[in-house]
Amino acid sequence: MNEELNQESHSGRQVIWRLLSYLKFFKKKTLIAFIVLLTATGADVLGPIVMKIFIDDYLTPRFFPVRPLMLLAAAFIGLYAVSALFNYYQVISFQRIALNIVQMIRVEVFSKVQHLGLRFFDQTPGGSLVSRITNDTETIKDLYVTVLSTIVNSTVMMIGIFTGMFFLDMRLAFICLLLMPFLLVLMWVYRKLSSKIYRVTRVKLSQLNAKLNESLQGMSMIQAMRQEKRLRNEFGHINSEHKMALLQSVRLNSLMLRSAVYSVYLIGLMMILSFFGIQSFDHVVKIGVLYAFINYLDRFFDPINQIMQQLTIFQQAMVSAERVFGLLDDHRTAPVQEGNLNAAVREGRIEFKDVTFSYDGQTDVLKHISFTANPGETVALVGHTGSGKSSIINLLMRFYPIERGGIYIDGEPLTAFSDQELRRRIGLVLQDSFMFVGNVADNIRLSHHQITDEQVKAAAEFVQADQFINKLPHQYHEPVGERGATFSSGQRQLLSFARTMAQNPKILVLDEATASVDTETEEAIQEALSKMRRGRTTIAIAHRLSTIQDADQILVLHRGEIVERGTHQELLKKGGLYYKMYQLQHGKTGDKVSSAH
Amino acid sequence: MHIFIDLWWFFKQERLKYGFGILFLMLSSFLSMIPPYVVGVLVDSIRTRSLTPYGLGMWILFLIFIGIIYYFTGYIWRQCIFGSSIILAYQLRKSLYKHFTRLSPNFFQKRRIGDLMAHSTNDVNAVQVAAGEGILTLIDSVTMGGMVIVTMSVFINWKLTLITLLPMPIMAVLTMYYGNLLHKRFSKAQAAFSDLNDKVQENISGVRVIKAFGEEEAQIKLFRNASKDVVQKNIAVAKIDSLFDPTITFIVAICYFLALIFGATYVVHGSMTIGSLTSFTLYLGQLIWPMLAFGFLFNIVERGSASYDRIRRLLAIKPEIVDQPNASDQVPSGSLDYSIHHFQYPGSQASVLSEINFTVAQGQTLGIVGKTGAGKTTLLRLLLREFDLKDGQIKIGGTSIRDVTLNALRSAIGYVPQDHILFSATIAENIAFAKPEASQEEVERVAKLASIHEDILRFKEGYGTIVGERGVTLSGGQKQRISIARALLADPELLIFDDSLSAVDARTEVAILQALKTERKNKTTLISAHRLSAVEHADLIIVLEAGQIAERGTHEQLLKKKGWYAEMYAHQQLESLVSEGGGKA
Repeated sequence: MNEELNQESHSGRQVIWRLLSYLKFFKKKTLIAFIVLLTATGADVLGPIVMKIFIDDYLTPRFFPVRPLMLLAAAFIGLYAVSALFNYYQVISFQRIALNIVQMIRVEVFSKVQHLGLRFFDQTPGGSLVSRITNDTETIKDLYVTVLSTIVNSTVMMIGIFTGMFFLDMRLAFICLLLMPFLLVLMWVYRKLSSKIYRVTRVKLSQLNAKLNESLQGMSMIQAMRQEKRLRNEFGHINSEHKMALLQSVRLNSLMLRSAVYSVYLIGLMMILSFFGIQSFDHVVKIGVLYAFINYLDRFFDPINQIMQQLTIFQQAMVSAERVFGLLDDHRTAPVQEGNLNAAVREGRIEFKDVTFSYDGQTDVLKHISFTANPGETVALVGHTGSGKSSIINLLMRFYPIERGGIYIDGEPLTAFSDQELRRRIGLVLQDSFMFVGNVADNIRLSHHQITDEQVKAAAEFVQADQFINKLPHQYHEPVGERGATFSSGQRQLLSFARTMAQNPKILVLDEATASVDTETEEAIQEALSKMRRGRTTIAIAHRLSTIQDADQILVLHRGEIVERGTHQELLKKGGLYYKMYQLQHGKTGDKVSSAH
Repeated sequence: MHIFIDLWWFFKQERLKYGFGILFLMLSSFLSMIPPYVVGVLVDSIRTRSLTPYGLGMWILFLIFIGIIYYFTGYIWRQCIFGSSIILAYQLRKSLYKHFTRLSPNFFQKRRIGDLMAHSTNDVNAVQVAAGEGILTLIDSVTMGGMVIVTMSVFINWKLTLITLLPMPIMAVLTMYYGNLLHKRFSKAQAAFSDLNDKVQENISGVRVIKAFGEEEAQIKLFRNASKDVVQKNIAVAKIDSLFDPTITFIVAICYFLALIFGATYVVHGSMTIGSLTSFTLYLGQLIWPMLAFGFLFNIVERGSASYDRIRRLLAIKPEIVDQPNASDQVPSGSLDYSIHHFQYPGSQASVLSEINFTVAQGQTLGIVGKTGAGKTTLLRLLLREFDLKDGQIKIGGTSIRDVTLNALRSAIGYVPQDHILFSATIAENIAFAKPEASQEEVERVAKLASIHEDILRFKEGYGTIVGERGVTLSGGQKQRISIARALLADPELLIFDDSLSAVDARTEVAILQALKTERKNKTTLISAHRLSAVEHADLIIVLEAGQIAERGTHEQLLKKKGWYAEMYAHQQLESLVSEGGGKA
């Protein structure tokens, strides 16, 4: 247990250094902000000294010359004006720096995620990924904005106050320094105790939420099985544990926060009063100094209270920071170009040579796949769910690294192509036609600004999407909502076709949608597909065999292997798996099959 | 402030704690008046050099005494007030949970779980803050503020108090103004953050398209802009947020200034001592917090009221399905009798079921088949009384299901739903969900019946393996079989399989069906399925089409009819052949 804690604090220190290392990008700004902070603190600290001068030099001896007093008054107001102004500027500057650092971290995490491979996305739930990029970085923001700036501010203030004290009276200042050990011990003990209680509270809260969430999701089952009472008890149990943990933290806070700090304040007050009291037995005491000391003491405890209250945020932020850095250090990046051959796709000949592939390193989902698609040809992949069709596409798109065997385009290995070349030349049409928030034209053009409005329209016309787009109130500027929910699935498909055609790829990779769309759109889709394939090497996953009857080659996959290959007619004659599948889709009896001959 | 009236029931319930809490809070405000007074007295006696060692010692002892009492009063009121607010949150969560367990399925279909979670967490927290910090700021700003002002004016100098406090209202007005501005800007910052969140969400869900089109860099650019927007909105917040401290310091400084200038005049005139002036400035420092607390109070109360209203509205929702006044407690048993004239979901116009009439004798098996959306699940859910029939009857053993209590009805029925809900617990606990006291032997027996025993033993922890969200991920088929075992353990009169064999392979299906046959002799079983093999052996099969019975009969009878059933059967035979790799025909 102890070892575990030590380890934690060790990695904690690393996390802090890594977080602080971002400050190096803002050296100048930080320096300026720091100077401003020093000035503001200086003005703050000088205030009581001015009061002391007033009390000792003028008020006590009842000496009131107008000009010096006016000057003093002006100095007093001036100092506070400077303090207010500079403090404002200082806080803003630090916040700005903090927010910019968080911005950097955020962009860094997001960029990192963009360059991670699909293998990473397969293994990481999307929800937690989103939360890493937004919520965890938000907690780091809290750390920077509140905790760090509070600590810097408070520390400088405390140093300033001590400087003022030393200026006024060395001996008393030394005596006041004696308060520091008390405070440091108090803080240290509080941090120790609160971190434990805090952790318990967090765990209980997450258990509470998990239980509630699960119960809400499974309420039908709970009710059907008449377990309401038992679940109420179970929830009640966690609820009560959570309550106990919270009560414990209230107890700790009541024992160690403001009340305890106030006690230390009283000790300080007593020290100052005794110091002057004892002096007064045989000297005349400067009341102004006493006044200034009491004033300093009063201000000294504000920063302490603030630091102590930030300690819990600090703990949470460390956990978040650790998670974010963990993601930044992830190794599962997407496969990239190897070497700098910069091969180009010229004709679009695709060759798979003895490709074997596994997602998890254990079960092979593809076994010894070899085939060639000549320029302009269509190769169709058919087979049951899990037969390996999608994996072939995933490899061709270089979504996953090829470990065994090789894939070649125009004779060059897939790894020789740059990402840009590959993405521009290979057009992928996915089953799930993903839409971005924006408008219709944005969704066709994506980020390729060199594509003109005319080309967008041409692409839409080519796939016959223009027919429904023109009927929209704002046509190409029609807004697209989240996931394109306002469009039918058929319309979304046509839009994603247009998106691919706007890129004018040399190679087409099609993953036919299984979901049925209305007949009218269906016709448009089939027509668009056959038009798109013209003059392009096409690899197509087909669920409906009717759509690929004219393919130059059909590969029938079963459990990761090619079990049959040939043209539609050849495969029908064979009377194997393809024939069965064809029968399945084309009706009750064999009559139709024979008529297709 | 109506939140405090709304929460009166709780203050009454915890009247001792609140009573003591407020009393000690006031006491501690009073105690904090004393040290400045002592400082004043001591400063005067130091100045006039009339202080004796004995006097100093006494005053110091007095301060120590005050310090100790203050520490304990502080501890007590914090315990009482914050402790109570935690108990309030606990009670609210408890009643919400209890309420959720009583509400009907329709409620859970209409409301998003995320929203319900938010009510049970954020809203409860806001109410907790109102009952804790809210009370504190209310009492503190009124009593502490009042006491300081009274002490200053009665014991020191009322004229000076008046003059000195002149700038304070400006502070109150300014901070309130900042508060409003801050709230608005904060909402904008929140909105920007939620946009950013949406952006990331979209990016993660569209990762394939993004990669396929090489959109990574463009996405990073978009994200950078969205993130910049968040920064800008947050800086706008910071600009207001950072105004508080300097404004307060500056105005307080002016107060000090006034106190010193005018105080000095009084000192010169002899109507005040320097000691009292020192005490006076210390009191001035103590006024800052009550002023601020007053500003916080409005904020806390506003949020607490809105949240409490939402919680109350939620608690006021009545369950739609309840026991009839004279409902019998007797667990129904006997033949099952459906006579539905017409059914539609509440709030919907579309008819889901019409003219459904059939009888299943006790011990028989009913098969329900048909396309997705034909009404199979609805037909079964009506039996569970997830919804009530308005136009028709379902009877078990001649008694309408509405004439028995929900508890009795549910005791009679075992249910294996379409989507398999497992809880974060061990496999054994999940199987014994409806019968927590079941022995390990019983659990294993039903696990064997459901053909899941072997699978379970293959896990490292066996029956002790944790499943659910934070446990081992199970395949769809394994989940299905565990929920079958769970339903079998309860050994109900009536067992419902709502397409719950879809994810098991053909051989396992046969084994499970065989086990059911012997296990459930004399007990009624209802099976809805896509795969006809699951209902082949049923005593009666009904084919639903658009909410009506299109065909009915036994497997043989239906095959002879050459209707939808026969067609589908042939199709599926072929399909299974294909999925087996073509059967090497």
